[in-house]
Amino acid sequence: MNGSAKISRRLVAALGGVAAISLATSGAALAQDVIKIGAPLPLTGPLSPEGVKQQQGYDLWAETANAKGGIKVGAKTYKVQLVYADYASNTPRAVQTAERLITEDKVSFLFSPFGSGAAKAASTVSEKYSIPTVAATASSEQVYDQGYKYLFGTFTPNDTLTEPLADLVTGKNKSIKRVAILARNDLFPLSIGQEMEKAAKKRNLDVVMSEKYAIGTMDHASAITQMRAAKPDWIFATGYINDLILIRKQMKDLGVKAPVVTMIAGPAYQEFIDASADLAENISSASWWHPAVRYKGEDVFGSTEAFNKAWAAKYKSEPDYAQASAAAAGAVLQIAIEKAGSIEPTKVRDALAAMDTVTFYGRIKFGPTGQVTSLQPPVFQIQGGKPMVIVPDEIKQAEFKFGVN
Amino acid sequence: MIYFQVLANGLVLGGLYACIAAGFSLVWGVLNVINILHGTFIVLGSYIALFSYNFLGIHPFISVITAGALLYLIGHLVQSSLINRVIAAPVLMTLTLTFGLDLLLNNLMLVAFKADYRKLVLDNPLGRLELGPIFMPLDRIAAMGLALLLTFLLHRLLRDSRIGRAIIAVRMDREAASLMGVNVSRINAITFGLGAMMAGAAGSLLSIVYPISPLNSGMFLGKAFVICVLGGLGSVPGAIVGGLALGVIESFGAIWFGPEHAVTISFTLLILILIFRPAGLMGKRGFE
Repeated sequence: MNGSAKISRRLVAALGGVAAISLATSGAALAQDVIKIGAPLPLTGPLSPEGVKQQQGYDLWAETANAKGGIKVGAKTYKVQLVYADYASNTPRAVQTAERLITEDKVSFLFSPFGSGAAKAASTVSEKYSIPTVAATASSEQVYDQGYKYLFGTFTPNDTLTEPLADLVTGKNKSIKRVAILARNDLFPLSIGQEMEKAAKKRNLDVVMSEKYAIGTMDHASAITQMRAAKPDWIFATGYINDLILIRKQMKDLGVKAPVVTMIAGPAYQEFIDASADLAENISSASWWHPAVRYKGEDVFGSTEAFNKAWAAKYKSEPDYAQASAAAAGAVLQIAIEKAGSIEPTKVRDALAAMDTVTFYGRIKFGPTGQVTSLQPPVFQIQGGKPMVIVPDEIKQAEFKFGVN
Repeated sequence: MIYFQVLANGLVLGGLYACIAAGFSLVWGVLNVINILHGTFIVLGSYIALFSYNFLGIHPFISVITAGALLYLIGHLVQSSLINRVIAAPVLMTLTLTFGLDLLLNNLMLVAFKADYRKLVLDNPLGRLELGPIFMPLDRIAAMGLALLLTFLLHRLLRDSRIGRAIIAVRMDREAASLMGVNVSRINAITFGLGAMMAGAAGSLLSIVYPISPLNSGMFLGKAFVICVLGGLGSVPGAIVGGLALGVIESFGAIWFGPEHAVTISFTLLILILIFRPAGLMGKRGFE
């Protein structure tokens, strides 16, 4: 008898053992009436600040729901069990991770990975297995225009951010004419950069620079040199927290100033403000939610105030829009499951598609593509180290200020 | 006028690039080992600078010495205990070994330090130089100056010291050097140690320019490759010329073709040089 045959026989025995154990544990899980929800997240790597935010939002929702008994499905109640998996900020790995959560961890529902790019990539997997999926941080229309039935998103399209921004800036100051755009070459940041370009051209502004930078760029000196030469009145930079901190710092190093500097998406986050300190002052931005909004909802949190309070109790900070959107994704999924009275994927999917409800996060009604259409995103500006709402008027906290040095 | 600034950006970046590539080039040229660990060594140097600054208040310009010394020890040890066993094997074998060691070290760093980007924020930055149309943070200029100085010192070491001459002798003809009484395996270990030392020192200098994460090691390795091919293998002046050239080319490339193509340009260049001038811009094979 040769050695390799012996080894392979042992291997088969071992695999059999593993299979038996995993069957036994999954049987036990079913007995406890648990709904498993998978969440692939970038918990490490360049997008880890964003990944952790989403995780915090999901965690708070799951804890709140479980503390109130769980999700009611007909006569039964199910506890929420979140299954996290780190994909290290690597989009191809996000797709594999989503598939593994569905096929091996047997999750019934999925929360999308972070951002438009990864959410779009992973949506093909959840669609293939008919797993209802809620994307908490994907806004680009290109994510939802694939004709998929199982994907729903809690961010409105990108032009709902750029249009009110452009109205505000051009309405306040007619001398703003020259716009420079620097966008991360990634689905959402590029797409919102293009929306800004459209918004600028619509208002007869000159787009004096429109450049992209590669994902993982560590030095923006050339782009910022070009920006300085273009003498813009309005600088519009897109990317994620780490990119925007670096861009803002290099703008200072290279002596770039402008009346208006807008950055998306980063200034809403405390991390951006902490890392940029004085440099964050007067940076404007827009987001899909702000802790100053006020809604009363039928979700597990009940109202925006109650949500803010629950957040502060758990994390000792104010929630930002990404954190709120993640919690809202959970709350919305819970409402859909309870309305469907079933954990059947198709029934929950239909309940999501038919939903029209108000939550702490705002009114939730998904359009025909699955993307929410019923929110009005606020425009805000960092003043005195805090994001202050400028638009809409009902929740306005400060006047818009010009001049970023 | 914009071109002065672009040129300045490129030269400052290029000085740091030279320092990134010098050690890699030395190890490749002398030992005929393509050291995939080089990028990870650089990142390790950055972490040493980061922790020294955050916990002990030691400025990264001083950490250059400790990071260099620590990495020298690590490099010496790795070469004499592991790589030396396969040093005479075909280059693919040593490449595979350093690749494996890199996976190990890089993943250990991911576990220990996480993949998050960290920044070394100086409490008292040196401020900014404004020279007509050129703006440049002085910290960057100082880092570039130190990087070039270190690279120059390495060059003098190889030229003027007994060890340096022995390294060159091994590089020119391993067997003849051995017959002349050079302890080749000791020289191999020292050379690898010097390569790692340059990586550690470069990492320490880069810590004030780039965010720090184990994920950056691949980027540094890629740059080192391009610079070596550009400048010519195994020569320190080649690394300086290659580094400065790459910095300037990337800077102007970003202006002319857009910043998203900076990496594409450097690798296109690599292919072109390999086709038309395989020995590199400064390449004279087997000469130091």
